[in-house]
Amino acid sequence: MSEPTQPNIKGRRLLIVEDDYLIAADLAGSLEDLGVKVIGPAGSVEDALDLVESDGGQLDGAVLDVNLRDQRVYPVAQALAERGIPFVFTTGYDAVAIPEAYASTPRCEKPVDKLQLARWLSEAGSQK
Amino acid sequence: MRHGSEQMRLPSKDELFELIVESSTDFAIFTIDPTGIVTSWNVGAERLFGYSEDEMLGACGDVIFTPEDRAAAASENERAVALAQGRALDERWHQRKDGSRFWGSGLLMPLKKNASGFVKIARDRSEQHRAEEHLRENEERFRLLATSIPQLVFLTRPNGDRTWGSPQWIAFTGLSLDESLGFGWLEAVHPDDRPATQTSWERALETGEYYVEHRIRRQHDGDYRWYQTRAKPLDRASPLTNDWVGTMTDIHELRGVQDRQHVLMAELQHRTRNVLAVVQAIASQTIRSSPSLEAFSTEFASRLRALSRVQSLLARAEEHAVNLHTLVEAELAAHGDGGMHSGKIKISGPRVELPAAAAQALGLALHELATNAVKYGALAQPQGRLAVAWDIETGRPTPRVTLEWLETGVAMSAPGTPVRKGYGSQLIERALPYQLGAKTKLEFGPEGVRCAIKVPVPNRPETRHV
Repeated sequence: MSEPTQPNIKGRRLLIVEDDYLIAADLAGSLEDLGVKVIGPAGSVEDALDLVESDGGQLDGAVLDVNLRDQRVYPVAQALAERGIPFVFTTGYDAVAIPEAYASTPRCEKPVDKLQLARWLSEAGSQK
Repeated sequence: MRHGSEQMRLPSKDELFELIVESSTDFAIFTIDPTGIVTSWNVGAERLFGYSEDEMLGACGDVIFTPEDRAAAASENERAVALAQGRALDERWHQRKDGSRFWGSGLLMPLKKNASGFVKIARDRSEQHRAEEHLRENEERFRLLATSIPQLVFLTRPNGDRTWGSPQWIAFTGLSLDESLGFGWLEAVHPDDRPATQTSWERALETGEYYVEHRIRRQHDGDYRWYQTRAKPLDRASPLTNDWVGTMTDIHELRGVQDRQHVLMAELQHRTRNVLAVVQAIASQTIRSSPSLEAFSTEFASRLRALSRVQSLLARAEEHAVNLHTLVEAELAAHGDGGMHSGKIKISGPRVELPAAAAQALGLALHELATNAVKYGALAQPQGRLAVAWDIETGRPTPRVTLEWLETGVAMSAPGTPVRKGYGSQLIERALPYQLGAKTKLEFGPEGVRCAIKVPVPNRPETRHV
């Protein structure tokens, strides 16, 4: 077993979509500690889509909470996919609840393992 | 072809008849004259009826009939039928000499040659009769059962080709028996479920049992309801050649309950994961603002208790909504009832039911305000007073609850106030607007803390869909 590489996501521009403020603020704080420039956080699909459109060209990745109160985050995922921007899901659901189209999207189950999340973001970003 | 050279002696017809009659011990064979007087009586007749040849020759043959049949002139009728049609078949109870009865089948034919009477051949059919009766009773029992249970019952060939459907099936589907026979019954099965309904027969031939869950159309309103259909061969030894009997049980409600259970399980999992994520967030936020591990431990435990209070209010609440008055009171009571009964605290406002998300966020914010008040504010000082009042603002697309937390009589020079400001004000000034679309204002005035919170609340408590 090789030592897991310390994720290097310094300087990345990452969008956070999460409807719970405490979780969003905590995640934002943790990513900022790693040198990330946080876009958002956005608590709804509309707000998130606005941010994707206005910042789309420069986004390096996104963390998407699947369930946003009465909405699902999939329109945001689609907008990101169309622009070739990598993203990961955070979710309180089992894998079965995620649509087939996103079966291969990395998924962090809540409560989120932030190191794992950062590692995924790092890998996804390097493939961009 | 006969050859004249063979000088074989053939028995005469009379001889042959006599031989046959005498050797037929299982058959009663006897003759009677036109009035019913016995003219011959073989060994089989002696055995079957219990009367000897001596007793019967010259006596009336009607004694083998039961008294009821004799009274109804059954023997005369039989002779009349035999004369008119050349033969009279007869299945009935007969009576022996000792009075016991047996089920006999007989054939009465006129003696053609001289038309001087009849020959009767009879045998004991009691065993067969009992078996047939038994079968009839079983069939009767089956029909009774099949037509009185709530299930829809059917008989079918081993490929689904139906041969019978119970009245319940006809009443439920509106398909007549004729319309249901063969594969006509498929008409009542939901089109999407027909392939599974039919392929299940292939599997049934392998396993010896048919099983499928499918939707069946109800005639009176056209709705489809879920049914569980099972069938098994009536005779396990030869499932391929015999009829199968099937039952269809309404499992619509059961499936509804199962579906709701799945939804609830997913909802429960979602909520639990979310609460854990909130705990994680509270922990790391508290770490950021804690000067020491000891301070963290106290703060974290206190915030966790606030979260758990809201959770237990939610768990007890109907429709997953929490009464605002209950929420405020629970939060203040948790900090000791010092103020509650001494007139230091006043809580007032109309009845408001908060949706789960609003209750959780508001509960945590109230906790921060209460903790602050107990440590440094109105509840820490003798002259301090706290009023928590709210109202409902209508006339907007979504009604708003306007809540005011007002502390008075507080000497604001008390040390330490700014420490609380960090996390509490973040919750009030940022979390509530972000999460609930609330408008908030937090002031540290000369008399104490004043906090105004305006939260949009849908008329009916929201029910979250998973």
